[in-house]
Amino acid sequence: MPKDAQHAPETLLDVRNLSVDFRTPRGRVKALRDITFPIRKNRIVGIVGESGSGKSTVLWALLGLLAKNAEVMGGEARFGDRDLLKASEAQLRATRGEEISVVFQDPMTSQIPVLTYGRQMLDILYRRPDVSAAEKRRMAVDMLAKVGIPDPDKRIDQYPHHFSGGMRQRAGIAMALLTGPQLLLADEPTTALDVTMEAQIIHLLQDLQKELDATVVVVSHNLGLIAELCDDVVVMYAGEVIEAGDVREIFHNAQHPYTRALLECDPARIDDVSRKLPVIPGDIPDLTRALSGCIYAPRCQRAMPVCRTETPPDVRRGEMSQARCHLLEGPHHDPDWPPPLDVMTVGAGETSASKPARAVSDKPLLEVSDLNVQFETVGPLRARLKGIDQRHVDAVLDVSLSVAPGETVGLVGESGSGKTTLGRCVLNLVQAQGGSVRFEGQDTLNMPEGRFKPLRRDMAMMFQDPVGSFSPRKSVRALITEPFQIHGVTDVDLDAEAERLAEMVRLPKPFLSRYPHELSGGQARRVGVARALALNPKLIIADEPTAGLDVSVQGEILNLMADLQAEHGLGYLIITHNLPVVRHIADRLAIMYLGRIVEEGRTDEVFARPVHPYTKALVEGVPQPDPDRRRAHVSISGEVPSLLNRPKGCDFAGRCPIAQDRCRAEKPPHVTMADGRRHACHFPIGQ
Amino acid sequence: MLYYLAKRLGLSAVVVCLVVLVLFSLLYFIPGDPVTIALGPRATEEAIARYAEKMHLDEPVWRQFLIYIGNALTGDLGLDVFSDRPVTAIIMERIGFTLALVGAGMGWAMLLGIPLGCLAAVKPNSWIDRITGVLSVGTIAVPSFLVSIWALLIFAVHLRWLPAIGAGEPGQIGDQLSHLILPAFAIGLSWVGYLARMVRASMLEVMGENYIRSARAFGLLPRRVIFGYALRVAILPTITLIGMGFGGMISSTVFAEIIFARPGIGKLIFDAVMARNFPIVQGAVLVATGLYIFVVLFSDILIAWFDPRVRESL
Repeated sequence: MPKDAQHAPETLLDVRNLSVDFRTPRGRVKALRDITFPIRKNRIVGIVGESGSGKSTVLWALLGLLAKNAEVMGGEARFGDRDLLKASEAQLRATRGEEISVVFQDPMTSQIPVLTYGRQMLDILYRRPDVSAAEKRRMAVDMLAKVGIPDPDKRIDQYPHHFSGGMRQRAGIAMALLTGPQLLLADEPTTALDVTMEAQIIHLLQDLQKELDATVVVVSHNLGLIAELCDDVVVMYAGEVIEAGDVREIFHNAQHPYTRALLECDPARIDDVSRKLPVIPGDIPDLTRALSGCIYAPRCQRAMPVCRTETPPDVRRGEMSQARCHLLEGPHHDPDWPPPLDVMTVGAGETSASKPARAVSDKPLLEVSDLNVQFETVGPLRARLKGIDQRHVDAVLDVSLSVAPGETVGLVGESGSGKTTLGRCVLNLVQAQGGSVRFEGQDTLNMPEGRFKPLRRDMAMMFQDPVGSFSPRKSVRALITEPFQIHGVTDVDLDAEAERLAEMVRLPKPFLSRYPHELSGGQARRVGVARALALNPKLIIADEPTAGLDVSVQGEILNLMADLQAEHGLGYLIITHNLPVVRHIADRLAIMYLGRIVEEGRTDEVFARPVHPYTKALVEGVPQPDPDRRRAHVSISGEVPSLLNRPKGCDFAGRCPIAQDRCRAEKPPHVTMADGRRHACHFPIGQ
Repeated sequence: MLYYLAKRLGLSAVVVCLVVLVLFSLLYFIPGDPVTIALGPRATEEAIARYAEKMHLDEPVWRQFLIYIGNALTGDLGLDVFSDRPVTAIIMERIGFTLALVGAGMGWAMLLGIPLGCLAAVKPNSWIDRITGVLSVGTIAVPSFLVSIWALLIFAVHLRWLPAIGAGEPGQIGDQLSHLILPAFAIGLSWVGYLARMVRASMLEVMGENYIRSARAFGLLPRRVIFGYALRVAILPTITLIGMGFGGMISSTVFAEIIFARPGIGKLIFDAVMARNFPIVQGAVLVATGLYIFVVLFSDILIAWFDPRVRESL
């Protein structure tokens, strides 16, 4: 590497005019069109875009690993003296893993379950015949140690399922860096991880990049991650690069209306929770049709007639910065664009009328007290044979929670926190071992299904994966009227009901005859909401209502849920790990850790002054979409312990920065503070 | 692991007991008196009574059953009705032929079917995939007794390449092997199709997994990706299928052994059923069941050996 690299970063990989088509039964999808951007040496480049933007396709095209129905239509990708797009399969194979390596999105599925890490890492080093097996193993152990895996010489002989999600991703990074590649590609490296793990992985990538002087490309839809990690940013939309530039330029002075809108929609960026969430109306265009003009024009708030007919100019400032918009240059140049950051350009200024001061009802809709749910881990016979005393784990431990009519309660926790089990227990889908669940005053815990079924009309579930939870053979009309049939409601006109419900969730009538696979993510969610609402329930339990939705449409669902609540006085129990989202919709929050509620209180107070150190770590753990607010250190280390060896004292003690001896010895009881907030901590913050 | 083995062996014992019970009651309920068959229609009253006593046929049914179980556990499966030789010895003489036949039949089916399935999955819709597809359906559709007869007619009678009947001279390995080829071909043929289809389907699924893409993204050679990564996972359901296939094959040997006049368990059972030779039928079916249970258990343990997740959940 030349010495002057710091002064004028040279280009490591130059992508020029890359175009990729997919051959599908519907016709050719022009997935990538004319993609041009440089990857500069020793920098972290972020490629950001929503689903369908083609950001991952760029990665796979560079590696020559596109799906079989893909075809590179043109362009070049200069890497050193080679063009990766024209390289032979053997040349590419020599490049992959050796000079260009990848960190994958989901470490749970991207590592082969039947081979040890040692075997997998040895395989990656197969091109080094002059290095002995013992030496290769030492290299692998060193790399595992470098990415922060404790006991690497023991753990290298373990299989992926022995590692937790965060540890797997660390191992994935170790595998990618093992050969000392010049370029590291990271495809949504934290999407599958919990908030506290995400922060750790971001910092690990940052540290390693500095230490190894590597060049990194991060593909993500997460603006916070991009702002926190990257130096350069490429913004993609519907298969085109619409803007690129330095991370501060992009986040502080975005030139393209789409970039601007995307930033405004990020709930993490919006501090004013009284307003409705902004939304980019419309869907991404159909890429099988002939395209003209600006690709974003149909959804752009500033679209002019010329945008639909003429290709916008490619405005460049310097080596990296580019943006394609008529507003920036030419006859339609607008000197006032872009407006200052605090001016909203999408869904501007609509104050939500949907949060009227509710008369606090003294009769809660749902009341959970001291609920305990245990799962059997060892059969009785085996326990006796092996002398195991503890045959059960506590999935939910002494949980108390209430939801009033018209109230939204957010149940927040990482994976394994027991939040989903709690939701299922409320719906009588899991047997509980103790405590009570009262719905409108009636004890429903472990009620036989025959007696519970009528109550199911009053409580509905919104599932995490709407498409997966629908029968693929039923039309939308059949799906949203199915609850009537399940509950034997015969005195209604199903067609009329279907239309009423579709209108309620703002789903256009023609969609009623579509099938689940013909719906976009947002539309499928709306069908899920309509189905949940069919029988006019009083309580809706929503499991990750915005999971898998793009930033630009998740506001739509949240606004819809808020409106419906205002209209029908619904109670919501929202189960989620997504703090920025729940902040906008929940009145109260309950934070769960390892099956216990560690803190509960009004959302604004919990965010402003977290009392429990875990809550504080969660609130601070969300990466902010602002490169000037990067965190200097990780606020929480370690991982969620296994339920099988629950700590004796406070569950959080092992990771808590302020833990004392007492925390490790005795479990903190739930304490209610003067303002009604409850917590379980021996040394609450600020008290 | 030990706990798992103990559990599986315990369950196997229960299955064997149930099989014995079913065998015992089946033979008890079918018409025909064993004494009359054994001694012929003109036996004297006295001879009948003596025989019935010797065979415990005068005792209550449940006692007969217990005696049988007790004897079976000690390796005594009774005496052949006609020759008075121990059934165990008769079965042991023949079981080697059947095991050789089943092993050879499944062996060549695996050697051909598994690679065919892999090749077809790696290049879907190529000519090799299409040929494999046609071949699979073709071989599965033809019943094995038909294959036996055709093979016999073509290769033994017309072309005279291979011997038609028997198992070869004892002690002469070459001769025995040449006698094994046609029957092994006949009973293995449909398994080439089954295995190719099964391996193709699971390989196609596994080739779409993220970890295969990872292996390719790390630049591993296609050979290593296909056989070291994909096949290692895709073979797991096939192992179960092969284990169960052994059971099916034991019944295919009945046809093959009759058509090629080979000695073996299948032919033994057939002859014994025709002659109402109850001790032989009971003993041979019991041994076949035991073999089947053992192979299935073995295939489950093999899966645990291949898959660490299964191994640890045992």
